[in-house]
Amino acid sequence: MSAKIKLACRNVWKLYGANAETLLKANPSPSADEIRNANTVGAVRAANIEIEEGEIFVIMGLSGSGKSTLVRCLSRLIEPTSGEVLFDGVDLLKADGKALIDIRRHKMGMVFQHFALLPHLTVLQNVMFPLTIQAAPEAEAEARAREVVELVGLKGREGNYPRQLSGGQQQRVGIARSLVTEPDLWFLDEPFSALDPLIRREMQDEFLRLQGRLHKTIVFITHDFEEAVRLADRIAIMKDGEVIQVATPEKLVMNPATDYVAEFTKHIPRSKVLSLAGLMTPGAVGEGAPLLHSAKVADVAERIIASDAPLSVQDDAGQIIGAVDRMAVAKVLFGEGSTP
Amino acid sequence: MFKRSTIGAFTISAAACLSPGLTMPVMAAESTDPIKLTLHDWSGQLINTKIMGSILQEAGYNVEYVQADYIAQFAGLKSGDLHLAMEIWETTGREALDEATATGKVVNVGETGLMAIEEWWYPSYMKDRCPGLPNWEALKDCAEEFATAETDPNGRYVGGPVTWGGFDEERVEALGLDFEVVHAGTDAALFAELESAYQREAPVMLWVYVPHWAPAKYEGEFVEFPPFSAECYSDPSVGVNPDMAYDCGKPRGPIWKAAWSGLQEKWPGAYDIIEAYKIDNAEMSAMVGEADLEGTDIDAVVATWMGANKDRWSAWIAK
Amino acid sequence: MIQRFDRRTVIVLALVIVTIVLGYHGRDLSKALDMRWIVKYPSAWVLPFKSVISEAMRWLIEDAAIGPVSFTDVTRAIAWAIEQPYNLILALLATGFVSGLGNEAQVILPAVSWIVVIAAVLALGHYCRDWGLALLAGACFLYLAVFGQWDSAMVTLASVLIAVPIGAGGGLLVGVWAYRHPTGEKILSPILDLMQTIPIFAYLVPILFMFGFGPISALVATIIYATPPMVRITTMALKAVDPEIVDFGRMAGTTERQLMWRVLIPSARQSLMVGVNQVIMLTLNMVIIASMIGAGGLGFDVLAALRRLDIGAGFEAGLAIVVLAIAVDRLSQAFAERMGRMPERTTGSFVARHKRTVLVGALLLMTWTVGQVIPLLQDYPATRTLTTGAFWDDTIKYLNVNYFDQFEAVKVFFLNWFMIPIKKVLLGMPWPWAIAMLVLLGWSAGGWRLALLCGGLAGLILVSGLWAKAMVTVYLCGASVVLATVIGVPLGVWAALNRRAGVAINLFIDTLQTLPSFVYLIPVVMLFRVGDFTALIAIVLYALAPAVRYAAHGVRNVSGELVEAGLVSGCTPLQLLRHIRLPLALPEILLGLNQTIMLALSMLVITALVGTRDLGQEVYIALTKADIGRGVVAGLAIAFIAILADRLIKAGAQQARIRFGLEN
Ligand SMILES: Nc1ncnc2c1ncn2[C@@H]1O[C@H](COP(=O)(O)OP(=O)(O)OP(=O)(O)O)[C@@H](O)[C@H]1O
Ligand SMILES: [Mg+2]
Repeated sequence: MSAKIKLACRNVWKLYGANAETLLKANPSPSADEIRNANTVGAVRAANIEIEEGEIFVIMGLSGSGKSTLVRCLSRLIEPTSGEVLFDGVDLLKADGKALIDIRRHKMGMVFQHFALLPHLTVLQNVMFPLTIQAAPEAEAEARAREVVELVGLKGREGNYPRQLSGGQQQRVGIARSLVTEPDLWFLDEPFSALDPLIRREMQDEFLRLQGRLHKTIVFITHDFEEAVRLADRIAIMKDGEVIQVATPEKLVMNPATDYVAEFTKHIPRSKVLSLAGLMTPGAVGEGAPLLHSAKVADVAERIIASDAPLSVQDDAGQIIGAVDRMAVAKVLFGEGSTP
Repeated sequence: MFKRSTIGAFTISAAACLSPGLTMPVMAAESTDPIKLTLHDWSGQLINTKIMGSILQEAGYNVEYVQADYIAQFAGLKSGDLHLAMEIWETTGREALDEATATGKVVNVGETGLMAIEEWWYPSYMKDRCPGLPNWEALKDCAEEFATAETDPNGRYVGGPVTWGGFDEERVEALGLDFEVVHAGTDAALFAELESAYQREAPVMLWVYVPHWAPAKYEGEFVEFPPFSAECYSDPSVGVNPDMAYDCGKPRGPIWKAAWSGLQEKWPGAYDIIEAYKIDNAEMSAMVGEADLEGTDIDAVVATWMGANKDRWSAWIAK
Repeated sequence: MIQRFDRRTVIVLALVIVTIVLGYHGRDLSKALDMRWIVKYPSAWVLPFKSVISEAMRWLIEDAAIGPVSFTDVTRAIAWAIEQPYNLILALLATGFVSGLGNEAQVILPAVSWIVVIAAVLALGHYCRDWGLALLAGACFLYLAVFGQWDSAMVTLASVLIAVPIGAGGGLLVGVWAYRHPTGEKILSPILDLMQTIPIFAYLVPILFMFGFGPISALVATIIYATPPMVRITTMALKAVDPEIVDFGRMAGTTERQLMWRVLIPSARQSLMVGVNQVIMLTLNMVIIASMIGAGGLGFDVLAALRRLDIGAGFEAGLAIVVLAIAVDRLSQAFAERMGRMPERTTGSFVARHKRTVLVGALLLMTWTVGQVIPLLQDYPATRTLTTGAFWDDTIKYLNVNYFDQFEAVKVFFLNWFMIPIKKVLLGMPWPWAIAMLVLLGWSAGGWRLALLCGGLAGLILVSGLWAKAMVTVYLCGASVVLATVIGVPLGVWAALNRRAGVAINLFIDTLQTLPSFVYLIPVVMLFRVGDFTALIAIVLYALAPAVRYAAHGVRNVSGELVEAGLVSGCTPLQLLRHIRLPLALPEILLGLNQTIMLALSMLVITALVGTRDLGQEVYIALTKADIGRGVVAGLAIAFIAILADRLIKAGAQQARIRFGLEN
C-alpha cells in the first residue's frame, strides 16, 4: 500500500550563525566539527523525511535536538538555510508571500506548546480568528467556530477569556482554532507537554478520537517516547539536528538503528509497542475468534495467555494470516530478548 | 482668595461685542483681522494690555489676546504671528527689543508713560537696625545686620536673575560695601525671599522694581545711591569712587511698546492710537494693588479705568 | 578579619584618593605651576559651536526650501493640521463656538457645560470598567468645578486630548517602524536620547519660529518631550511578544499588517499601556512650561499665582493638574482595556444599545437650551467655589515663623558636610585629569568603545566652553541623586514589603511626579532661601519617584521560591533582605538609578529658576536672550551628561549581572 506523499523535505539544513550561508555554499554537507568550527549551530542537519497522507507522523527527540526548528522549516516559519520542502509535490520554499499566506490560510493548521492564544479575545473569537483575517462572512465563520468548539468539548465556554480556562481547556481552544479552517496538514508542536500527566493522557485520547473522525495528515512533535508510541503511525527520531531513524514504533523497538535509539526504547514496555503482526507465526492457523494483526500485545495478552492453544491472527481484510501462542507473548511480557 | 481665570485670553474674542452702539466704524480699508496682543504673567502687564485692547475695541478694531513668554514673544512679533507687546522694560527687555528692531521686522512704538524703577530695597523695620538708611552710606557700617549664616560677616543682597543684568557685583565693589550678591533665578523666587523674611521680620535686602505690587504690600523703601548717569557706568573717574565704574544707582527707564512692523500698514488708525496711549506709574500701581492685594478681577479693574478715563482715550482715538 | 586587597582594588582606591586630593587642591596646584588652564579652560580655545548652530537654524528657518516650498511652509502646515482639531476641542470644552472675529463675534454655541462633562466622564468610566472608576473620575472633575479650576482645567484638558493621542499614536507608529527595521532602531535610539534629555527651553525659540506663536508650539514641544518613552516601550513590548504567538499569526495566514495590528499589538497591549501612561504623565509635566509659550490653562494659573506669591492659589492649581492627571490616566487605562476586548454584540433599539451616549446627549441639549435661562446649568457658579488657599499660605507662614532656625540648621549641616565638599572637588579638578578618569572608567566598564564615547562627549563639552557649568551640573545632580537613592530605595523596599505602606507611598510618589515642581519650589525658597540647597530639595523631590518605583518593583519580583528557600534556611527578615531580596533586585535598582539621573537632569532648567549656576541656567539665559545656538549647545551638553551616565551605569549593571551569573 503506497499512500500519496503529502509533505516531504529533501536535504534540509538549518544553521544558525553569521557564517551559515557561506559555510553551506562552500560545503553542502559539513560535518558536526566543521559546523562548530565555523561558529554556527546546526539546528537541523540534512533532514530527509516523507510524510504520507492521512498518517500521524511523530518527530521525537530530546530538548534541543531540533524538532521545533525542523517543523518550522516544514511550515516555512523558519527559512531553511538550504534544501527543499515539497508540499503536495510543490516546493514550498519557492512560494511567494501571497501564495504562502494562501497555503497557510487554507491548508495548514498548527497547535503550539504554550497554546499561543490571543489574550484579548474570547474563546469563540480566538477560534474564529483564522477565518476573520480571511474576511470570511461573519455569520458563517461564527457557525463554523461554534461547531469546532463543540467538537473539542468546550461548548458553553465560548464567552470566556483564555485566562479564565485551565491549561487543558486552553489547549482545546488551540486545537479548535487550528482546525477551524479545515486544513489538510496539521502541525502540533509538543501540544501536551505543558499539561500534567492525567490531563495529557485524556488529551491524547481526545486527539486520537478527533483523528479517527478527521483523517488529517499530522506532524506531531514530542519529547515523550511513550506519547510517540501511543499516537504514531511512524516516528522520526532526532538527535543534534539529525534525523537518525524513521520507522514505525514496532520497528524502532525491534530494530533500533543506533545505540541512542535503543537507549530510548529500552524503558518502554514492549507489550505496548509490539503488535501481533510481529509476533505471530506467519501462515500458521490457530483457533478461536481471530485477533487483529495490528492489536498491541498488552491489549490482548490476557486472552492469549488464557487460551491453551494458539489464536488466529487476521489482517484488516479479515484474512487469517497467522497465529500467536502464549510463549511468544510471555517472552514479550517478561522481557526475554529485550535486545534483538 | 482671589482667583482669575485665564480663559479670558481665549474667550475675549467672543465677549468683545460689549456695546455695539458705542462702536465706531473701522476706518476705511483697514483690516478686520484681529490685532493680537500678548499677555504675560504679571498683573501690571495684563492690565496695561487689556486697557489698550479695550480702547482698540472701542475704536472698532478686532482684538485677540495671546498668552506669550516675555522674551520668546519677539519670535512671534518678528513673524507677524503676534502684533503688539505692551510692556518691554528698558531694564530687562531692551537688548531683545533692539535686536528685534534691528531686523526691521519689529518697531518700537514709543513709551507707555510708565517708568521702571529698580533698586536695592529693604523693609522699614530694618531702619531700626541700620539707622542711617535710606542713604547708601549707612550700609558701609551695618552690612553685618543683613548677614545670614552663609554670608556672615558680609551682608546678603538678593539680586534678580542673572539675565536681568544690573551690575550689582560691580556696584558692591565700587562702593566698598561688604555685601555678597546672591541671584534669585526668577522674580517669584525673589519675592518669596522677601515674603519669608518679612513674616519673620528678618533682615533682608533685595532688588525690587516698580510698577509692582510688593511696595504696596510691604512697608519699606529703596536705598538712595548716588544717582545714575551713563558716564558713571562707562567712566571710572566719574562718581564717588575715582577708580571704578558702576559707583552709582541703577538707571531708571521707560517701559516701551513694541509692535510688528506690518501693523502700521495693516491698521494705520490703530497704530496711531497705540502710539498715543500713555498711562502713569501712580495709576498703574493703584490698579496693580487692587488686583493683586485686594483680589479684584483684572477685567473689572480695566473696566473701572475705562469708565473713569473716557475723555482721555476718546482723545487718543480721535487723533 | 584581615581584608585582603587585590591589585585592582588597590589601584582603584589610589586613583579615587588622588582624584579627591587633586580636586581639593587643583586651584592651588594650577597657580603654583602657573598653569591656570588646567583648571579653567581658556576661552580662547573655545570652538564657536554656538554661532554655527545659530546660523544653521537661521538658514533652516529663513532660507531652507525644496523648490518653492520653504521649510517653514512645511512646519506651518503641520501646525495648521494640529490646530484644527485643537480649536474644535477647545471650543467644545472651553471657549464655545464663535463665528466672526473680534467685535463681530457671535456666540453660536457655548462650551459644553460642566454638568455635561461630568456626566460624560461618569458614563465613560462606567462604560470602560465599572461604577468605581466612574465615581473616581467624576469626583476628580467635580473637584475641578468646586475648587474654581474649571475653565483653566478645560483648556489644559483640550491640549492633553490633542497631545496624548498624537504622542501615543505617533510613538506607536515609530516604535512599530523601529521594530520592523532593526537598523532604523539603531539610528533612532540616540535621537530619542536627545529628545528626552535636551531641555525643552533649549529648542523653544526655534519651535516658535517654525510652528508659530501660541498653543500649537506648546503642543509640539510637549509632543517632542512626551513621545520617546512610547517609542521605546513599543519596540520593547513588540519584541517581548511570545514567539509562539508570532508563529501562530503567521500560520493563520496573516498578512504583515494583520500580524502587526491584530496579533502583535493586542498581545503587547499591557506594556503599551505603560507607554501611554508615561505619555500622559510627561504631557502633564509639561503643562507649566507649555503655558509659558501660550498654552494657558492650569499651568498659567500656577505661574501667575506664584508671581503674586499666592502660594495657596498656586498649590490649588497644581493639585488640579494632579487630579486631572489621575482622572485622565485611569480612564485611558480602562478605555484601552475595553477597546482591546472585541465588542460584544448587543441587540435592541439604538437607544437601548447606547443608553449612556443618549443620556449625555440629552443632557447636552438640555443645558444648551435651558442653560440660556438658568446660568447654573452652563457654568459652575463662582460664588459656590471653595478654596483652601489660605490654609496653605498659613501653613507655610507658620513653619517659616516658628521653625526657620531648625530648617536653617539642617541646611547648614548639609551644605558643610555634603554639598560643599563635593562641589569643591568637582570644580577644582583639572579637566585633563577628569577626562582621563572618565575615559578610564568607560574603558573598565565597557571596553574601548565606551571609553571613546566618554572621551568624545566630555571633550565636546570642554571645547564648547561649558566645562565649569557642566561640573556644577554634575555636582548638583550627583548630590541629589545620592540623596534621592538613599531616601528612595528604602522607601521602595518598604512599599514592596508592606501592602498598606505601599499604597500610601505610591500615592505620594504619583502626586510628587505630577504636581508641577514650581508649586513647591517657591515655598521651599521661603523656608531655605535661594541657593543650591533649595535646588537640591526640588531635584530630590522630583527624582525620587523612579528610585522608589524600581526598588519596589525589583523587590516584589524576587521569586517567591527563593524567598522561601531563604526562610527555610533560617534567615531573619533582615538577612532575607540583605542576602536575597536586595541582591536580586539590584538590576532593577540600577535601572531606577538610571532614571533618577535622567529626571534629575531634566529638573535643572527648573532649578535655574531659583538661581543655580549650572547648564540649566545657561539654557535659561539663552532662552531669555533668544539665543538659539547658545541654548542648543547647553542643551546638548546636558544631554551628553545624561547619555554618559546612562551608558556607564548600563555597562556597570551588565558587569554586575555577569558577576552574579545572571548573564554571560
Ligand atoms: N534563533 C536561534 N539562534 C541560534 N540557535 C538557535 C536558534 N533557535 C534554535 N537554536 C538552536 O537550535 C537547536 C534546536 O532548537 P529547537 O528549538 O529546534 O529544539 P527542540 O528540539 O524543539 O527543543 P525543545 O524540546 O526544548 O523545544 C538548539 O540547540 C537551539 O539552541
Ligand atoms: Mg521545541
